[in-house]
Amino acid sequence: MERTNFEKIVMKKFTFIFATLFAAFILPAHAKLNVVATLPDFGSLAREIGGDKVNVTVLAKATEDPHFVDARPSFVVSLRNADVLIDGGAELELGWLPPLLQNARNPRAEIGKPGRVQASQGIRLMNVPANVTRAAGDVHALGNPHFMSDPIIAKAVAQHIAQAFAALDPANAGSYEANYKKFEATINAKLQEWGAALLPFKGQNVVAYHDSWPYFAHRFGLNIAIFLEPKPGIPPSPSHLTEVIAQIKAQHVKAIIVEPFHDRRIAEKVASATGAKVVEFSQFPGGLPGTDSYVKLIDILVSRLAAALK
Amino acid sequence: MKKFILVTLAIFPVAAAFAQEATPVSTSSPSPAVSNAMPATAADVEALRQQVQSLTETVKTLQQQVKDQQAVLEKANITSESGLPQNPEPSPIAAAENSPAASAPQRFPTEDTSVVSSTTAPAVSGSPAPGSFPTADTSVVTSTPETISSTGAGASLTQPITIAGGGKNYMNISFDGLFALAYSSARDLDHIEVGDHDPQQRGFNARNIELALDGAVDPYFEGFANIVFKLDNDNATEVEVEEAFMQTTSLPFNLQLKGGQFFAAFGRINPTHPHTWDFADDPLVHGRLLGPDGLRGVGAQISWTLPTPWYSQLIFAAQNGRGSTGFSFRNPGDNGIFFGRRTTDREARGLQDFVWIPRWENSVDLSPTQVVLAGVSGAFGSNETGANARTQIYGADLFYKWKSAHAEGGFPFVKWQTEAMYRRFEAGRGIDESFPVAETFHDWGMYSQVLWGFKKGWVAGIRGDYLHMQDSHFTDDLDRQSRSRMSANLTWYPTEFSKIRLQYNHDFLEENFFLAGRDVDSVFLQFEFILGAHGAHKF
Repeated sequence: MERTNFEKIVMKKFTFIFATLFAAFILPAHAKLNVVATLPDFGSLAREIGGDKVNVTVLAKATEDPHFVDARPSFVVSLRNADVLIDGGAELELGWLPPLLQNARNPRAEIGKPGRVQASQGIRLMNVPANVTRAAGDVHALGNPHFMSDPIIAKAVAQHIAQAFAALDPANAGSYEANYKKFEATINAKLQEWGAALLPFKGQNVVAYHDSWPYFAHRFGLNIAIFLEPKPGIPPSPSHLTEVIAQIKAQHVKAIIVEPFHDRRIAEKVASATGAKVVEFSQFPGGLPGTDSYVKLIDILVSRLAAALK
Repeated sequence: MKKFILVTLAIFPVAAAFAQEATPVSTSSPSPAVSNAMPATAADVEALRQQVQSLTETVKTLQQQVKDQQAVLEKANITSESGLPQNPEPSPIAAAENSPAASAPQRFPTEDTSVVSSTTAPAVSGSPAPGSFPTADTSVVTSTPETISSTGAGASLTQPITIAGGGKNYMNISFDGLFALAYSSARDLDHIEVGDHDPQQRGFNARNIELALDGAVDPYFEGFANIVFKLDNDNATEVEVEEAFMQTTSLPFNLQLKGGQFFAAFGRINPTHPHTWDFADDPLVHGRLLGPDGLRGVGAQISWTLPTPWYSQLIFAAQNGRGSTGFSFRNPGDNGIFFGRRTTDREARGLQDFVWIPRWENSVDLSPTQVVLAGVSGAFGSNETGANARTQIYGADLFYKWKSAHAEGGFPFVKWQTEAMYRRFEAGRGIDESFPVAETFHDWGMYSQVLWGFKKGWVAGIRGDYLHMQDSHFTDDLDRQSRSRMSANLTWYPTEFSKIRLQYNHDFLEENFFLAGRDVDSVFLQFEFILGAHGAHKF
């Protein structure tokens, strides 16, 4: 039996459609590494290391509270297509990443796979609680997860990312390695600048809205131990603020650090009662104007703080 | 002195180069030291040993020189003036890797082993050449071992931590208590409130106290369980295995299989537990068409996320649909009566007696702060009011959420959720054809609610409900009364682990052939606590 013309045309069309679908879904996956970063700081490092060899998607917005990000379904699509997933691994994203991963069903992003970079690996986290109780507020069992504000830690994370990229994309391993070396050299040079800028204020007390800055404080010899929040994640109460105002006056604190998602009016009130200055800080590149990269972010944090402490 | 440093620095690269040169020399011999394939000659081994020794000595000398230099610099008050963490001693390997520029004396440290505990990951797998120089291996051995967490909560070097939710346990355990103090102008609050976990009597109610367990079963499955303890109006404890199911984690092609006792993925309210609801009670249409306990049962489900650029998921489940949790399906009813008919309560005859539950949901981001999720669902099966009586339920749902780009703790936000359902219910003449007529009910209803999180921890909500039950001159069931309802509430979440909610309901029940119309006012004060590692909720 010979095929009719109609059948032939149908067959041809099917072949064409199938080939197109195949090309649309399969081929682009090999063009560039698809990198998903949970938070903008990891995303910034991924761009530094990956350059034009990777596509970077960042889930959380730079201006929003990283503890509470909506697990929106479009993130499932991003995670499903990820060759590399970079997360903190220190429970900062505990409230929203697990259900996304459950829904994304991406074996490449499983813990232990080369495509999963957990930034906190190899990092010694600070303030690991001996006893975990929620009576202490929003305490992270693994330690304070806001570790990226220490540039030395950022270097280690960048190296970790470079190693992961190189393992998954050996053809461009040289480029990742070179970008890492460049990043390392930049940080090493910048650390001299930053260290010098903050050196005159060594040991000074600074107030922060939330306990996000122990790593920054440790690196640059500052003392950030007074917070507007009575306990992590608990909104400032009037009685606590009265206490903070007294402390600020007694210790002559000059700066109050707030992040883009904090209620700046509360900080302003405390500032006007004490004469301290409100300094807008961000953990994330993009959280402040003119901070599209990690280095620029730390640049601005250091210069803002130095100006306020003068 | 500067010259001396320069000389030192000059030696470094030479030494490093020599070290690298040594590798090919050793491997070029026909018997690599690492391999057991061919025994190395004693001379080869001895030669290698000498090379290693001489290299180690060179490195040691260089280290000592660097130390001396540092000591001199410290005396000159250059380093100590900063008072910052000291430049740590470079390990021999790190020193060899450092570029000359990096090892120059610095005012500010650029390394800190007190925070970066070791190399962050195993060496790049690009060069695990067999027969490489043994010194390279020691760096791998001393580096961080890969920690793999079975819970997916995260792995870190700060272990050991052995608390729930700390990433070191096999199972997350959480306990949730949901209570309500209720007042209603109606004396039969159990007929006014349609959900089994809603307040059912004036005074205090404790109808949803649940124990939730979840965790990875093995590399292939995850397991979940929700055991609900409920105190009835006489304070007797009832236990429900609300959910207990396993699902796959690593199927290819974005497929997922689920099996056990679970909530049907029908609409938005049905698959969720009451403590996640934005109101103190169940929407009318859900409680009356899918049942007071929602549609859940023992069964299996397959879901597939489509390879589309937006989020699109197809879900298909089959459940027994038997009993009160298969309310509109194979439900024998109270005392064997449903909608006035004596029910058949029979064994499944075939595939037609399962409840088949398809769902298709799609979501797009309208903007970085706005998300829309829309879905259509169905549930098809037979019911017990006649030998061949069938039930079909269709549903459509729409969810919109705006959240500020500067959200703190997830606030402020606005979310709008609407669901509509239609049920076609073939009511037969009962097991012995004793009921006078067979009827087909076309029942439908919808609810729409808007929640406004106006300040961290504070949410105000408003909801409208409507339910149309087809009028019947034959069926005097109390639940077949058309009605509408307006609700308003205010919720305070001190943290995400507790809440206090005040809600007001105004119900209007329409007159029908058997029942009089009436208005009911109700007020609920709901309070909740959560202990332990409660799994994050889906969007």
